[in-house]
Amino acid sequence: MKSPDDGPGQQLDELDFEILAGLRLLFELADPMPAGLPERVRFALAMRGLESEVARLVAEEDPRLVGARGTERSRTITFDSHSLSIIIRVEENKNGSVRIDGWLAPPQPRRIELQTSAETLAAAADEEGRFAFAEAPSGTARLVVVGAAPGDQGDGGPTVVTPALVL
Amino acid sequence: MDESMSVTAPPGRSDRSDRTARMADLLDAAKGGSEDALGQITAELSPMLWQVARAAGLGADDAEDVVQTAWERLLSHLADIRVPQALIGWLVVTTRHEAWRIRSCGRRQRPADQEWLAAIPDRAAGAEEQIVLDEQQRALWRAVGRLSAQCQELLRIVAFIPRPDYQSVSAALGMPVGSIGPTRGRCLEKIRVLLADELDGRRA
Repeated sequence: MKSPDDGPGQQLDELDFEILAGLRLLFELADPMPAGLPERVRFALAMRGLESEVARLVAEEDPRLVGARGTERSRTITFDSHSLSIIIRVEENKNGSVRIDGWLAPPQPRRIELQTSAETLAAAADEEGRFAFAEAPSGTARLVVVGAAPGDQGDGGPTVVTPALVL
Repeated sequence: MDESMSVTAPPGRSDRSDRTARMADLLDAAKGGSEDALGQITAELSPMLWQVARAAGLGADDAEDVVQTAWERLLSHLADIRVPQALIGWLVVTTRHEAWRIRSCGRRQRPADQEWLAAIPDRAAGAEEQIVLDEQQRALWRAVGRLSAQCQELLRIVAFIPRPDYQSVSAALGMPVGSIGPTRGRCLEKIRVLLADELDGRRA
């Protein structure tokens, strides 16, 4: 058997590769990665990926529970982050989609994105901080209040992301 | 990565370059802000980082935390990383350093006996299917158990590094360049001797 220290140019031989492949199999059997770890990592990165503030859900009011007027099905959700609050009202449209009306406090013009698993919708908050998505798909989504890029006009604070919510 | 799970010959050159090209594309997309690309990279490389963290002697919970921390650190450094080989080296080294940091906090002592060495594995934890290991594999596992802790850790890490990335990763790990560093060379040499001994012992 040859010495392992023959010099920097020495290549691993096939037995070395067989041993390493065998070790890999054995360690995967003996001590496999927990199956949920990649998903946990993916979620952690999604939350941090935008170097953003994560808004916290602070209040959710469902009129169906507190005495709705008529048959209108809507709910109001409030998110808080360090730099701003986001209040949205979600109403069901007749065609199964939802309408979202929102307000930013303090009021400010910002670009607003509604990110769903399938697509990203965009809207603009006006000077009063109002924005709307007339027809958003129902399902899981999150709102992103986009931070201003350098050189953009406006005071644009940091990007703020809400947790995923089910519309 | 599945193709390397078998104990048959490693994939050929074209497979390797395909994989490297695919990782390079994913890396570019991730730099461009694609969460999907980043998700694919984490799915592919997290099993390797888990092994790195466990090889450093961390318990399961700490190992999960360390893997997550390494990925979070990567986000701040993604722009500096140009090629997939550098990505793998960076992640392995960061995971190992973070694992050492956790251990040196005194929160966890390295177990005198690695619990995963206690028994020859017949199947993955939670897996339904029993896997029949041949005598060569059982002998290999016994041989691992006879290695020094340092060689166990090193070979466990190296076993999970994709073959075309040995060079860059061994450099990143601080082992001298060349196809094999002296430390790894000695560890491979030792396990070859031990493996031969185990196989001889069975026949005797």
